[in-house]
Amino acid sequence: MIPFKKSLLLPLLAGMIVFSGCSAQGQATSDQGSSGGASSTVSGKLSFYTSQPEEDAGKLVKAFNDKYPDVQVSIFRSGTEEVTAKLQAERQAGKTQADVLLLADAVTFENLKKDDLLQAYKSPERSAIPTDLVDPDGMYAGTKVMATVLATNTQKVTTQPTSWQVLTLPESKDASIMPSPLYSGAAAYNIGVFSRTDGFGWDFLQETKMNGMAVIKGNGAVMKAVASGEKSYGVVVDYLVAREKSKGSPVELIYPEEGVPIITEPIGIMKEAANVPAAQAFVDFILSEEGQKLSAEIGYSPIREGVAPPEGLKGVSEMKILPGDAAKLAADRETDKQQFINVFGE
Amino acid sequence: MEKLKRNMIVLRGQDNGRKSVFSLPGLFRWNRLIALLGAIAVLLFFVYPILKLVLLSFQGEQGLTLSHYNELLQQERFWSTLRNTVYIVIGSTVFSLVIGTALAWVVAYTDIRHKSALHMGIMLCFILPSYVLTLSWSSFTGSQSWLAHVLQWIHPDLAPWSMYSMGGIVFVMGIHHFPLVYMFTLDVLRKIPRDLEWAARAGGASRIEVFRRITLPLALPGLTAGGLLVFLASLDNFGIPAFLGTPVNISVLSTLIYEEIIGFGPSAFARGASLSVLLGAAAVVGSLLQWILLRKSHASDTMQPDLTPRYDLGRMRKPLAFTIWAGLALITIIPLSSMISMSLKRAYGLGLTRANMTLDNYRYILFENERVWQAIQNSLVLSLVTMLACLIIGSGFAYIRVRKPNQFNKMAELATAVPYTLPGIVFALSMILVWMEPVPGWNPGIYGTMTILFIAYICRFLILQIRSSVTSFMQLDASMEEAARISGAGFWRKWITVLLPLLLPGILTGGMLVFLTALTELTVSALLYSSGSQTIGVTIFSFEQAGDTLYSTALSSLIVALIAAGGVILLIAQRWATRKGVKS
Repeated sequence: MIPFKKSLLLPLLAGMIVFSGCSAQGQATSDQGSSGGASSTVSGKLSFYTSQPEEDAGKLVKAFNDKYPDVQVSIFRSGTEEVTAKLQAERQAGKTQADVLLLADAVTFENLKKDDLLQAYKSPERSAIPTDLVDPDGMYAGTKVMATVLATNTQKVTTQPTSWQVLTLPESKDASIMPSPLYSGAAAYNIGVFSRTDGFGWDFLQETKMNGMAVIKGNGAVMKAVASGEKSYGVVVDYLVAREKSKGSPVELIYPEEGVPIITEPIGIMKEAANVPAAQAFVDFILSEEGQKLSAEIGYSPIREGVAPPEGLKGVSEMKILPGDAAKLAADRETDKQQFINVFGE
Repeated sequence: MEKLKRNMIVLRGQDNGRKSVFSLPGLFRWNRLIALLGAIAVLLFFVYPILKLVLLSFQGEQGLTLSHYNELLQQERFWSTLRNTVYIVIGSTVFSLVIGTALAWVVAYTDIRHKSALHMGIMLCFILPSYVLTLSWSSFTGSQSWLAHVLQWIHPDLAPWSMYSMGGIVFVMGIHHFPLVYMFTLDVLRKIPRDLEWAARAGGASRIEVFRRITLPLALPGLTAGGLLVFLASLDNFGIPAFLGTPVNISVLSTLIYEEIIGFGPSAFARGASLSVLLGAAAVVGSLLQWILLRKSHASDTMQPDLTPRYDLGRMRKPLAFTIWAGLALITIIPLSSMISMSLKRAYGLGLTRANMTLDNYRYILFENERVWQAIQNSLVLSLVTMLACLIIGSGFAYIRVRKPNQFNKMAELATAVPYTLPGIVFALSMILVWMEPVPGWNPGIYGTMTILFIAYICRFLILQIRSSVTSFMQLDASMEEAARISGAGFWRKWITVLLPLLLPGILTGGMLVFLTALTELTVSALLYSSGSQTIGVTIFSFEQAGDTLYSTALSSLIVALIAAGGVILLIAQRWATRKGVKS
């Protein structure tokens, strides 16, 4: 039950790996099964907690394993809020079980940082990432850019809306749906941003509620409801809409004119990580050009400069962003969730 | 006087001398040691968690407080949840009672054909895990189903009734639980003496009057007890409201506790605990009522069930049989096929045409997602270990309970019933509270591993085994044991050649029940699982929550296939066993 302590040699070796770099500039992964110095030193179990869809997390891990075949990654997937609640529970139980975390937004990581659950790691890959999207102390770094947009079902909605306000209008009466901030980190972030943005505020959220806004657990479920036509309008993260659209589902993706809240799905290493070298190799891989290209292939807008966004999505430079103050939002997250229950609870 | 005393001692000594090879004080100590260890185990595993839960709900910053309850009572969300819980529980209980009683009456009293097949068909609704039934119905009534297309074709405005509603939850819960009422009532009805009915008929009462004045009053205690059983099952159920209610903001007590704990972490433990105390109290009251009623209806226990039909259906037989079979098909087989067809779709929201059919979802869950394999493995290991542990501990305890009943082991049996009586979510929370820090300052590191699931499963399902084993031992006369001993059989010989063959069918039925219940368990594991210790139920639940309905339906279809295969093997084994029995 008690994970045995790795020798101190491994962190040192890990340091060496970091500097040997994992630039896979356009090469096919030639490390397969090779005993190249980098991959053979990283091994053992790696516990990866994430809020990404299972399938995407699986693809990342698979590509990572092509490079580092000796690491057995176990994935725990749930909504961001559930993952953090779980970490807190584990901490109370004596030891956190995760090595690496990849959750919805910087706000979540700010709170984990405040609780002293993270350890610093300044990956060399950070140089290619905008500085405002990584933590200056090295506790976490964004891995992608994800906007929350409006999705519509094209069979139900003929004139596409241009503003978030459509959610309070009669045309979306009982026909709109959003993810729950009690489960989804992206949704919790959005609530934080909308409730503090001029022209929206809690009043706006209250009005959507009065207009029959349904709340479902995660973004995936919102997408499902819109794709099947159960609902006509959905508040949902952009990549899901682009992906469903490319599969042939009757959905459209709209960036409302007021702007969109964005999250970066940061990655960080737990303070009590049992396998630090593998965790660091994993972080490097996700932030590397290879990892970012894979992420774009899966359908996410990359965070790294010089990697093109996938078909149908805007890059970070093309969006109008609704700003959020991570530190403020982090301090108020629990009260925001409670307030949300008061407004939407019944 | 002295002499008399000495004689007494001699006599007593002789008594004891014949009884055992141990010296009297030694035996006494040995028994006491076992009793003491048993008592400690019972207290630690069954009583302490509940105490801790109750305590936490009253614990404040300084000393005891009612603030958590106050906070609850002021929340509009709590009241709406309470209302939903009451409606859903009452609605589904009434629904189950009506269907269950009607079917029980038909099977018990009429001369309908193929009773055993009918029995199996009715039980199917209960054998299927509630989330499988739920997924079947939500795919069957979804806006993409063929049912929707048929209704559309009839009239463009027609749409199937949405399962994601209060009505939907009541309905699915009702069809999931009616077999409980059916089983309970069947036995009660069969034990009503037919001569009473005949006497009334001879006295000139009409059929209706006989039913009203004879059958109903005699059946009532059993019926109410069956109703209470469903009431408890509905309070306990987490799968159905979690799959159907949470997406549309309908929460019941069990899902509210889950949301609190999962969404807010340890800060919400006290709130979750006070909710749990309320829910647990409701369940305990229900159980007590049921127990009282059952004691009342024990009078008929000595009756032999009367299996011969009492009503000749005549020309009604075929139509009635057809109606029942069609009804059973409509509530299980057709929705199930709808779920299976959903799992074969390329993308959610597409119709099921040849071009959209694919086995990709199955390929993904079986070959591309290691967590699914891990979950299947975990569930199998968990249920096997739980079954074995319950078989050994439960049967051992049942033996002592039957052979040497006393106040102490009666209390112990009550204690072991607690985890199963309490709603699963309440029990799971109490497990977390205990195993996080059993003693202040000491963390055994059990929470967040498979170990806590083993402990929780064994504690929760032990009573199922105890009940089955107790029933088995009760049916075995002590004279068998004495006969074996008199004929010179030693301890092992006595067990292996005489007792076990007689007891095994009953005990193994209990074991199978434990195995099946554990294999598809969702409620307890939803709160206790973590990375690497996910179970089948949790995996299906996670897929569904993430909106991966194609995967959740695919995995559910696989589980149904597994259960079906298990059922067939069980049937073959039973056939083989009975044939063997006939031979010997």
